[in-house]
Amino acid sequence: MDITGQEERFRRMFAEEAEGRLATLSELLLALETTTGDPELLAAVFREAHTLKGAAAVVGFADVLQVAHALEEVLEGLRRGDRTATAALVDSLLGAVDGIREMIPAVLEGDDRADHAERLVVSLQTPPPDPAPADPTPPNPTPVAAAGAGIRGIGETIRLPVERLDELVRLVGEAVAASLRLGRLVTERLGAEPASVPELHELSRVLGDLQQRTLRARMIPFATIAEPLRRATRDLARTLGKTVELELRGQETELDRGVLEQVADPLLHLVRNAIDHGIEPPDERVLLDKPPTGSIMVRALQLGSEVVVTVADDGRGIDLERVRERAREAGDGLEGAGDGDAIYAIFRSGLSTAPEVSEVSGRGVGLDVVRTSLASVRGRVEVRSEPGAGTEFRLSVPITLAVLPCLVVEAAGRRYGIPMHSVVSGEAAGWTGDYVEGQAVIRVRDQVLPVASLAWTLGTGDEAAVNGGPAVVVASLTRRHAFQVDALLGQRDVVLKDLGRLLPRLDLLAGASVEPDGSILLVLDASGLVNQARWIRPGVRGAVESSPAQPASPASTGQPSLLVVDDTAVVRELERSILELAGYQVRTAGDGQEALAMLADAPADLVITDVDMPWCDGFELTRAIRAEPRLAGLPVVILTSKADDADRRRGLEAGADAYVVKGDFDQQALLEIVGRLLGTLTTARAGDRR
Amino acid sequence: MRSVLLLVGRDWFALPMAAFQEVVAAPVVTALPAAPPTVRGLFNVRGQIIPLLDTGVLLGLGPLPGCSFAAVVQSRYGPAGLATTGAPEPAELAWRVGPAHGKGTVAAYAAGERIAVLLDPMVLLAPADVAAES
Repeated sequence: MDITGQEERFRRMFAEEAEGRLATLSELLLALETTTGDPELLAAVFREAHTLKGAAAVVGFADVLQVAHALEEVLEGLRRGDRTATAALVDSLLGAVDGIREMIPAVLEGDDRADHAERLVVSLQTPPPDPAPADPTPPNPTPVAAAGAGIRGIGETIRLPVERLDELVRLVGEAVAASLRLGRLVTERLGAEPASVPELHELSRVLGDLQQRTLRARMIPFATIAEPLRRATRDLARTLGKTVELELRGQETELDRGVLEQVADPLLHLVRNAIDHGIEPPDERVLLDKPPTGSIMVRALQLGSEVVVTVADDGRGIDLERVRERAREAGDGLEGAGDGDAIYAIFRSGLSTAPEVSEVSGRGVGLDVVRTSLASVRGRVEVRSEPGAGTEFRLSVPITLAVLPCLVVEAAGRRYGIPMHSVVSGEAAGWTGDYVEGQAVIRVRDQVLPVASLAWTLGTGDEAAVNGGPAVVVASLTRRHAFQVDALLGQRDVVLKDLGRLLPRLDLLAGASVEPDGSILLVLDASGLVNQARWIRPGVRGAVESSPAQPASPASTGQPSLLVVDDTAVVRELERSILELAGYQVRTAGDGQEALAMLADAPADLVITDVDMPWCDGFELTRAIRAEPRLAGLPVVILTSKADDADRRRGLEAGADAYVVKGDFDQQALLEIVGRLLGTLTTARAGDRR
Repeated sequence: MRSVLLLVGRDWFALPMAAFQEVVAAPVVTALPAAPPTVRGLFNVRGQIIPLLDTGVLLGLGPLPGCSFAAVVQSRYGPAGLATTGAPEPAELAWRVGPAHGKGTVAAYAAGERIAVLLDPMVLLAPADVAAES
């Protein structure tokens, strides 16, 4: 077989990665022996085997693929409950793991291990006898040679734990900080400018260069995983008799190395799924008036502190009826769930819409892997599908330790970074004394924008009033806002650092960075900033009681008008019927964006919203309502199945007046809350939030 | 049991030595906008950004007026600094002298001349409690 340099690189990458996976698999199998029947553990074992199988298929290790598939078959039996994880069975599974471990170096060298693979498959397919209770024979020991085969020369690249790179970044930062302190010492003691001392100048230059390079060492382009995706597409399409064109965009987008590692497997799964389930065979496509060659587009794009990767195909789309059917078979019929909710059932462990189990897919593991891999890096996945037109998965992952270009500003003696992607402009001349409806405004070219003191918005300044100082104009998703600062200090790349998992989510904060002098630079979140400014501005918060700016609504002339927002039609209509019977006028919207558009057309007296909705969820909707002066006093009730305290807190922080969990939901309670909010809005908003 | 004694207001608390990393004197704290009262801000320990928690608020004693020292603790959610009123001291916990009822506390122990309440950092440092408004 003629193997190109690229292919060889990926084969070796597979070998390195498989080493870790096999070790994990062994550990999980051992745990399985002692905790029989733990479904989470079984799902984890299954995922590892499935991922190993998928990767082996991509790099063309047919022998490994064959054994991994047989391994998966046995695990599937365990998951279904057809088999029990007896010691003998675990022996056999561990034997297969060790067998794969032994095979990989040989296959890597081009040896044919088909016989060995065949023996392992037979061994896995032959059910081991039930253990005799008094059998003193110990299980087959793990082959020592296999267990010790961990260290090998693997060419000119080495794999490093990401922590070591972090450590380098930190040490270089320390060195830079020390050189700055040295510079200050030289100025204080010798009265000389550091830049005028050649040795110091050279030290500073070299350290700066070193810092840049070490920072970049953590970042790798998306293109790094392009080749495995292309290879998977080609091989799988050929196997299935399909023609597929893979288009990759945004290959230059750089991601944190650790994040990309976590995204690679999910992407591979999605591309394989698209080819196997999505793209139709050429003759079928022609009959459907589609080009015979299917299309898959994978696009990476940095959006602020996130990288969004989309995988879109022009295939048949997700068969929602089949999803519902499979969910019913699994014990959850998704009754009452709208299409937007039901589609997310495809991410459940064990739920697959593939009609048959094959070496490619069909066990409902792939999308479970996608979800869990993304969750491990605090990422998320969204899916949209249109029957006959295709499916788009959208993976959003945070960039940890990414270099983020920021505008650095100073306000009330403190420095802040504002991500450049959300900065519209910096205005040297700020507010000139204009107001619109009591709100200080600034003229920026042909636009009039609200302006607020950044320090006041952040709660660090005592003075709410703005002055004529410089201003920075930032854009959130929905609006622009100017912030008056003390100084615009210039643009700089900053490295966002992981703040750990202990801190709660702070809407005003995108991250933080350590400055060369050791101080901490807070990087602000534009959306949070704009919402906060609209929410706290003098004349809005606290003005709800008198509420002179309350929009006129149908309620003033007749029945109170309510807007019900939920993407599940059944829930929407249920709420509508309850509320209409109680004498309210009810309009409905399918998501937050639609709701905002309807409120812009005609105001309401109260909004009841779900949380999980496409495009604009209930939290965003609530924040957007609070941020809009005309609607800021509008009561909002969040009605959701999300029962966590953290979600409840997010809802109330977003500005909701009541947070009702659907699990606690009863008709009377909803009517009481609505009545109370419509009748005693002031007290409800001030201190009677649920 | 080897531990580190932390002065929080007028109370002494004991931190198991295994969870303790180091002491930072007079930490330079960067306040976080809109943070809950349990979070005093962030501070830098050799290039690592660590949240500094108000130990008084966390233990239900009320906010500490200042933070002379921070005891850096390893939790399952990453490192955290516990603000203290005085310099932490190493000590040997001798015997249990009574119960303790606060969240994240184990029991009261004699530690030399002092009585200190032993903390369980794994329970005390949970994201939900750190996020709590009071």
